[in-house]
Amino acid sequence: MAVALLDSVVDELTAICGPDHVFTGRSATFNRARVPAPFPVHKWDEHVPSAVVLPTSAHQVSEVVKMANRHRIPVVPRAGATGLTDGAVPLRHGIVVDVKLMNQILDLDHENRTVTVGPGINMLKLNEELRKHGYIYPDNPASYPCSLVGGRIGTSGWSLIGARYGHTRDLVISFEIVLPTGEIVRVGDGGGRTVRKSSSGYQLKHLFMGHQGTLGIVTEATLELVPRPEAEFSAFFAYGDYMDAWRATGDLARSGVATLAGVVLFDEWKLAYLRRDDEAYIPQPESIKGVIACASYGNADEVRIGAKRLLRIGNASGGVYLGDEISQGDWASRHDRYATPQHGRTRDGQVALMSWHCEDASIPYSELPAVREEWHAIAAKLRERFDMFDDWGMFAYTNGAFKPWGDYLTEIDIGIWETRWDEETWAAWVDAKRELARVSIEHGGSISACHGSCREGEVDLVPAELGGGFEVMKTIKRGLDPNNIMNPGKYLLDQAYEEA
Amino acid sequence: MLGFKLSAQRPPEPERVADGVVSRFEHVFEVEPALMTEHVRQQDIPNWDFQRIVDSRWEHLAWMHEHFADSVISGEELLAELEAEQPNP
Amino acid sequence: MADRAASEDLTEVQSNGNGAAREFVEEWRDVAYNCFSSGHKFCREVCPVMQVTRDERHTPTAFHANVVAMEKGHLSIEDVAEDYVHCTMCGACELRCPNTLFTGDFYRFRQRTVDVVKAARALAVKEGIHQKDWKRWAELTDRWGNEPVLGWTKETSGSKVRAWAAGLDIPTGGETVLFADCEAAFKRPSVPRAVALILREAGVEFGLMDQQWCCGGPMWETGYVEIAHKMAEHNMLDWRKTGTRRVICLDPHDYITIIENYPSLDASFDEFEIVLAVDEIAEQIRDGKLRLTTPVERTVTYHDPCRLNKRMGVWQSPREILRAIPGLTFVDVDHVTQWSYCSGAGSNLGVAKPELTAEISRRRVAKVRELDGVDTLVSACPWSERPLTEQGEAQGIEVYDIFELVAEAAGFEV
Repeated sequence: MAVALLDSVVDELTAICGPDHVFTGRSATFNRARVPAPFPVHKWDEHVPSAVVLPTSAHQVSEVVKMANRHRIPVVPRAGATGLTDGAVPLRHGIVVDVKLMNQILDLDHENRTVTVGPGINMLKLNEELRKHGYIYPDNPASYPCSLVGGRIGTSGWSLIGARYGHTRDLVISFEIVLPTGEIVRVGDGGGRTVRKSSSGYQLKHLFMGHQGTLGIVTEATLELVPRPEAEFSAFFAYGDYMDAWRATGDLARSGVATLAGVVLFDEWKLAYLRRDDEAYIPQPESIKGVIACASYGNADEVRIGAKRLLRIGNASGGVYLGDEISQGDWASRHDRYATPQHGRTRDGQVALMSWHCEDASIPYSELPAVREEWHAIAAKLRERFDMFDDWGMFAYTNGAFKPWGDYLTEIDIGIWETRWDEETWAAWVDAKRELARVSIEHGGSISACHGSCREGEVDLVPAELGGGFEVMKTIKRGLDPNNIMNPGKYLLDQAYEEA
Repeated sequence: MLGFKLSAQRPPEPERVADGVVSRFEHVFEVEPALMTEHVRQQDIPNWDFQRIVDSRWEHLAWMHEHFADSVISGEELLAELEAEQPNP
Repeated sequence: MADRAASEDLTEVQSNGNGAAREFVEEWRDVAYNCFSSGHKFCREVCPVMQVTRDERHTPTAFHANVVAMEKGHLSIEDVAEDYVHCTMCGACELRCPNTLFTGDFYRFRQRTVDVVKAARALAVKEGIHQKDWKRWAELTDRWGNEPVLGWTKETSGSKVRAWAAGLDIPTGGETVLFADCEAAFKRPSVPRAVALILREAGVEFGLMDQQWCCGGPMWETGYVEIAHKMAEHNMLDWRKTGTRRVICLDPHDYITIIENYPSLDASFDEFEIVLAVDEIAEQIRDGKLRLTTPVERTVTYHDPCRLNKRMGVWQSPREILRAIPGLTFVDVDHVTQWSYCSGAGSNLGVAKPELTAEISRRRVAKVRELDGVDTLVSACPWSERPLTEQGEAQGIEVYDIFELVAEAAGFEV
């Protein structure tokens, strides 16, 4: 349960944020303990914040943080709370700083092609406004209609069309952040709110990308403006063999086509899963064991020329073009593609409402086939032991910005029937997550391409992945957050204080 | 029928199209109802509402295309062009 | 609607659940879990309330999470009753939810947020937790037969509900009746007058009910279910008494209430056909039976009423009608974009939270002002027209009902 704050602390919060923007009630706090599944619903009440504030300015955020730092009260930033590594879960209760009211467009700079926004704005809503001016902000995760800019920075997100336009770290030019001691600073590549490339000083923007709320609270961001694409092209190819599809994925990714926005490889587990309920895949023959989707965006003439090259590569690699209806319809659905609970099946084939867990490592291209085998084996073992886990197949997405040929966001989707959680099944799940992470590291990859790696199980291996880098992380954390008030308990960073 | 009639809301009997998949309306698939008998039960969705969901999905996808780009280039057309560009054997 | 699942795998409702709360949780746990387990939150940014308050207690997904929390004993209806007031029942959340949009038809298992909110409000009422003005509204509706849309003291009784038709000489009952809802009949009588005139012009024979009561919709929506049943049963009795088989609804709220709620109360409901006036009029124009010849020199945009567009997928007929009006310049905003638009009037939000309704409608009208040259906002829902008109006056945009414009184009003054 939540730990009650002193009345005097609540009074201070009220003085800073106003009486309408401070909440301590049960509904307000329980509903801000929640994040996407798998959510340990059997342990929900262990992570309820003591108070919630909805600030409307950087100044208010700063005052809240200073006050919390004085009183040694944990502070947890919350934007969309759609992240898949529990960054927004208040592990030690404390004050949740919910930035959703800070969702304004503050400045549109046509000359220098930037837009400056509050951290509570959503990309789809932002793009509805930008469209009037012929721009797009192309940060396009599966949570495109619901995640918020502040959270995208907190997780250092990945974009479906990042091969063409870059990912969050490439699209956020600079941002303002309230440090754990309350100072408001602006970080970019160097200085200058709209400067894209600088070699002045440390590249602090990157330090605060993906901090999962452990280093402060973003209060404003200056973003890249891209010309709205004249044209989109998407193509889906079918293969009778996974390895053929894997080779063709490499061919497409290495094509050098400048308009190429991404290549996605579906494995046969994924196709079997899609054949359960997806109108595009139900009619596809069982002989198809791999599918590739690729897409490109840009000026119409350039997209056309590039598309022809992609089609030639697809054909030459033995792929069968699946037609416009699938290519266009399925691609459009990938801008906001989330699994739904009805996909779940028990071992006897009955539908059960399962939550979606997505493991998201970065894996070198060469290692994809091997990782795939090992990951499916881990999922199979889980399902064999407990009829509450379901293997929903794997995707591999091009992961590099602008040069998309090196490593892949590799995803295994696992359905989990969460009402069945108990201590034993939760422990088995955490073990499996640790195993999945271990495989990624052993193959030269990274535990996470886009979600972060804070969740139980995976987080244990973060020091192994980062090596000496983890020691640097701890030093930075201790230096910036001397009292460990900022989102404590994440990323094993408590260790920074044990040693000190 | 312009308006709502209750008897017009009941779906026709399903036909099996694949493992675990049936169809009651042209080009629209549904789960084999027997798979939703133990852990979760199907809702009684009237035909008008069922059709609303199907239509909305396509409308949403068309909207998404338009949200991201002004136009969509057809792969089928480009493939035909590529074929025409090939010298005759 | 049978979506209760076998519950062998679900934990028991904890000790705080009394009878009514337990029933509520048992009925809605699957639908709630369907949302909770995904945590998509695609609903947040299309929700008209969330766009204003940005308070997670008001997210459609919180309305489901609360059910799970109640099952686990973390929250009670006392904790959350006030949260559930923050909803216009526009339906954007459940339509935009991937559980509906991508797989709802395949599994015949869609997200049902509107119904969860209705059920939570009904539970609150059952537990004696009232919103002061909703209670007063319900009591007066029960007493007068129609909603107190003219204020707390001006009676809106069944005997006065036909006052709008004065001088039109419309018979009572018959095969087809025009159902003119409380808001239109009492507050915006130009709408039912317009509909009556154009139906007659198109040669449609129709009467009015002997004594029309509220459709019951707002009573279902705010949790006063017994009053809703009373209204519905009265209306069906009235139809039968005068030989009515076909009911034309000019208000989407009436239509959706009747088709969603009445059938379960009446085993012989199939003897009735319920028709939307926008569909009827669009057909009359299409068939050449209603000729629109008087130019209406306005530049308009159309507000998709939520119950038509999001809840029922009806967006084509009104556009077809507008395109048939001579002289009219129609600047359209597509209906999918409008999934995230709302007037703020739905489910009596404006009675309980008038400032919230005003802010939602202020934003809606502000979107009209962004459109080049548009001077008029056209809606097809009398409930939306009250807050939109108020905001329109403040922002220099005129607000019309679609039938008012059609009547003008057909040469009538209403």
